Amino acid sequence: MRIVVGMKWVPGTTSVRIDPKTGTLIREGVPSIVNPHDMPAVELSLQLKDKYKGEVIAISMAPPPALKGLEYLIGMGVDRGILVSDRAFAGADTLATSYVIAKTIEKINREIGKVDLVVFGQETIDSSTAHIGAQTASWLNWPYIYYVHDAKFVDSKFVVERVLEDAVEEWEVELPAIIATHMKALKPRPVRLINKIRYKVEKPIMTWTNAELKLDPRCIGLKGSPTIVSKTVNVPEVPRKKIVYTPKSGEDAAKWIIETLMKDDKASKVLMKYLSMEGEVQ
Amino acid sequence: MASIPTRFDVIVVGAGPAGSAAAYLLAKKGFSVLLVERGKGLGDKNMFGGKVYAQPIREVWPELDKEAPIHRWVTKERISMVDGEKVFTVEYRTEKKVSFVTYLTQLTQWMIKKAEGAGALLASEVTVEEILMKDNKVVGIRSGPDVIEADAVIDAEGINRLLLERLGLVKKLDPDTVGLGVKEVLKVGESNIESRFGLDKKEGLAWAIVGDVTKGIPGGGFIYTNKDTVSMGLVLHLSKKLIDEGSFESHVSSLIEGFRLHPYFKPYWKDAIISEYGGHLTITDAIKFAPSKFAYPGLLIAGDAAGLLLSLGYTFRGVDYAVYSGKLAADAIEYARNNGGVSYENLQVYDDYIRKSFMYEEIMRHRGAITLMNSFELMSRYPKLLTKVMEKMFEADYKHEVIYNSLIQALKEEGISPFNLISQAFMMVKGI
Repeated sequence: MRIVVGMKWVPGTTSVRIDPKTGTLIREGVPSIVNPHDMPAVELSLQLKDKYKGEVIAISMAPPPALKGLEYLIGMGVDRGILVSDRAFAGADTLATSYVIAKTIEKINREIGKVDLVVFGQETIDSSTAHIGAQTASWLNWPYIYYVHDAKFVDSKFVVERVLEDAVEEWEVELPAIIATHMKALKPRPVRLINKIRYKVEKPIMTWTNAELKLDPRCIGLKGSPTIVSKTVNVPEVPRKKIVYTPKSGEDAAKWIIETLMKDDKASKVLMKYLSMEGEVQ
Repeated sequence: MASIPTRFDVIVVGAGPAGSAAAYLLAKKGFSVLLVERGKGLGDKNMFGGKVYAQPIREVWPELDKEAPIHRWVTKERISMVDGEKVFTVEYRTEKKVSFVTYLTQLTQWMIKKAEGAGALLASEVTVEEILMKDNKVVGIRSGPDVIEADAVIDAEGINRLLLERLGLVKKLDPDTVGLGVKEVLKVGESNIESRFGLDKKEGLAWAIVGDVTKGIPGGGFIYTNKDTVSMGLVLHLSKKLIDEGSFESHVSSLIEGFRLHPYFKPYWKDAIISEYGGHLTITDAIKFAPSKFAYPGLLIAGDAAGLLLSLGYTFRGVDYAVYSGKLAADAIEYARNNGGVSYENLQVYDDYIRKSFMYEEIMRHRGAITLMNSFELMSRYPKLLTKVMEKMFEADYKHEVIYNSLIQALKEEGISPFNLISQAFMMVKGI
């Protein structure tokens, strides 16, 4: 089977800081990484390839530094990467992005070979919309299942397992289809030396610009993006009080916590409100 | 599709200064080279104080001065002796381009680009788990399930020699041979650096500090001026004895904070924010740390892994030694090729190259410095003595003491006999 997996090149959140004055991300000097939630998607794609043969193609719509991310995925065992990169795609919201991705998948379908499955991660760590999978499925008119943690063929039918809070659903899906993995679905495999050597020797990467995709400029980039972020509000971090108390017993600890909270203006109000609500319920 | 090679002429483990230099020269000489690096970002895994000596590196890259990411050439060298708030400082100024300050990640990235440009194949984010032996000869490496073979492997894995330990060629790290380096990078700003340290554009300062900034632990402090930041930190000599005695009472973070907040040094980085901090091991006793041989059948050891670091207290040389040992490894492999093949007999020249090099001679010549640096006298009592002499000379409301009397009085107060002072001073001059 031919599987396409989506990857986003995002700023590593552990080191991201917000400018308290402007409320925007400080991107300067922040190293980028493969969106961690895309990793289960890559792992699932590779497991399906291990079982059913075929190829896995990773795609990413991003500026050229994202090649580092595609290199990483090829190091894991992905067969090739396609970087969709053009200044004309810049400033895209999820609608314009999913449009470009859908058109990329159509082009792969036409020129490389029939695509059976597209896999995305649950969401990205830098915007958390979880739009791309659903929107791409809408553009292509393919079925879409999300929160997936496993997929396999059962008697030539493609069966997808979807995790919900209190249940696991099994869906039979007609291919081609799009699935999005649950962020904790699978642990990604490490990079392999032999795949890294292959990356350097074969350079299995293509870059498609809008010269190749030939998309209507009104549907891509900033022009194709009807949604805007009108305002961001910076919620300041509440400084911790750093009080350490070593209790003599559990009872003593509970007593101390309540007493300390009651001494605090804000905390005591919240506590009292909660306690009176409890009373009403009973 | 091209076939994926599983055999190279040479595999270099570790893309630091030693590995990159070896890979660069070997690729240039026409060898097929695989350079394997475990770090995610290139240069991620290494750390240094801040200063690099240029000349040995120019032997590999004559274009160093023009092309390398050099922040500032060191024109000022300072040494300070600290005792509490009292500080005694000497300064030397030169215009000769001997050493420069930079970020090691930037310099390493430049070196790796050079190696890749010359044709070396770089595989990053990959950990080598084993150096493979067959019939008592190194034949390649293993990473996960992947085995790659080579005529020779250059081990440039750095100070934490897990691969050499697994091969049984070196013992586990001995606290008596290593120290802990901790460092903070402070965002001071370009113009502030120049005005506060009295530097011109492109001029840099290297500053060594001895005395109680390390709270009695042998070692010292350092300060380097980068382009728009200042690197400052401490090197703490570890030793079993000190660990057993419980000398490491305070956490390193509070030691470095004490140094950063010291009233004498604090104004240099007023209002600066800490943009980076880190810690790394460093070699403090190169002779004891070095493997018994530098060349084994199919294996050459270079850089920190070979113990090639000169630590004199007032100056450290590691990066240029690493690069130079990488060059010698490349020379040895070329010699072997031109003399009938990469056999052990031929590779053994590397051992000679190292032992006859300026690096090894320097390490041997200065070996007395190690003993001195670990001595309580040099680290605590002499800074105290010197600052006391200064105190007698300058801190007078009406009458100033003559220098001789200042010294004698200070010696008496510190309980140091003039004979001890002279013999130790002699040792210092001879040893360092």
